[in-house]
Amino acid sequence: MQDLNFKVQRYNPDKDNSPHMQEFTVPFKKGMSVLDGLLYIKENLDNTLAFRSSCRMGICGSCGMLINNLPRLACHTPVEELETYKIEVKSLPNYPIIKDLVPKIDVLFEKHKSVKPYLIREDNENLERPETELYQSVEQLDSFMQFSYCIKCGLCMSACPTVATDRLFLGPQPLAQGYRYCADSRDEAGKERFEIVDTPHGIWLCHMAGACSEACPKGLDPAFAIQLFKRMLVSQSLGIRKQPKSAPAIQPPKTSKPKIAVPELTVK
Amino acid sequence: MKETRLKILQYVSGIAIFIVAGFHILYSHFLKEDVTEWNSIADRAADNWWLAFYVLLLIFGLYHGLHGLRTIILEYFSISNSTVKVLDYVFIIAGLAILGYGTYIPVEAL
Repeated sequence: MQDLNFKVQRYNPDKDNSPHMQEFTVPFKKGMSVLDGLLYIKENLDNTLAFRSSCRMGICGSCGMLINNLPRLACHTPVEELETYKIEVKSLPNYPIIKDLVPKIDVLFEKHKSVKPYLIREDNENLERPETELYQSVEQLDSFMQFSYCIKCGLCMSACPTVATDRLFLGPQPLAQGYRYCADSRDEAGKERFEIVDTPHGIWLCHMAGACSEACPKGLDPAFAIQLFKRMLVSQSLGIRKQPKSAPAIQPPKTSKPKIAVPELTVK
Repeated sequence: MKETRLKILQYVSGIAIFIVAGFHILYSHFLKEDVTEWNSIADRAADNWWLAFYVLLLIFGLYHGLHGLRTIILEYFSISNSTVKVLDYVFIIAGLAILGYGTYIPVEAL
């Protein structure tokens, strides 16, 4: 098997004026991911290489990087999928670099926070100390379910051409999450979020390039969420939006005896 | 809902330009054979309905163009929200000035 040629971006803000590339030769193993290659480099070739990783299974969203010119999760990118022995790894674009492959993604969380990504209801007391359940039909759940799978890896923000040109643009992740909560029948703060996204650097700067949906490692479609959000805003502005009924509070089901007897614990 | 309203107007003006400019092209290039003759242009310039028609095209074109330019400036220069307000006033004044001048010329020629 041919060895892999890793070209890795290096940058130490204390020493370097600008990022540069460094090459490493990594032995190929069947089924290995790009993250495995980087871990090999760190363990055997250069322990000063900095990158983030945690779960190694595409859940935590820590290892986002630009791999062969596309934003991807390193743990979720098998080397074989790249169909080349030359692998170029850079820090995610549209974010400042802390060191090597570690981007400073604070801006993602700040923008995410700005759209109030949580349920807001008039009867907030019930959310804090729930005594009842909020009823939601399967259709209502389906309307936003896929957008709940966002792992906040920030790949969509680094793929977005508008984020690249306008640093004040909210970006696909916060906008999709804004839609996710506006579409949730349990939420009552739609108008509040409309005001947040309906700004000069808000939702209308999205050109529908669709790069965010291409980049998303969880298969979400943030571009679609933004289009649905735009439809909400237009219908609200024209006064033709059906005001959604808030999810009613219902009593939780009473505990009942299980139909199949649960065996008692043998160890006491 | 200010930005949404501006965007709705952008779409509406785009469709309006397609209809109004489309009619202009259809009328002057396909229905009239003497499109480049002086009389053909002078007749339309002397007609109030045609004057209103072209002023309408100017309004839609101006709005569509200036709003498009505003969007480009917003995106490429990342200007702050307070500067956007100044930019909006500049565009409103420029738009009204161009509209006034563009309307004054044919009205004067009537």
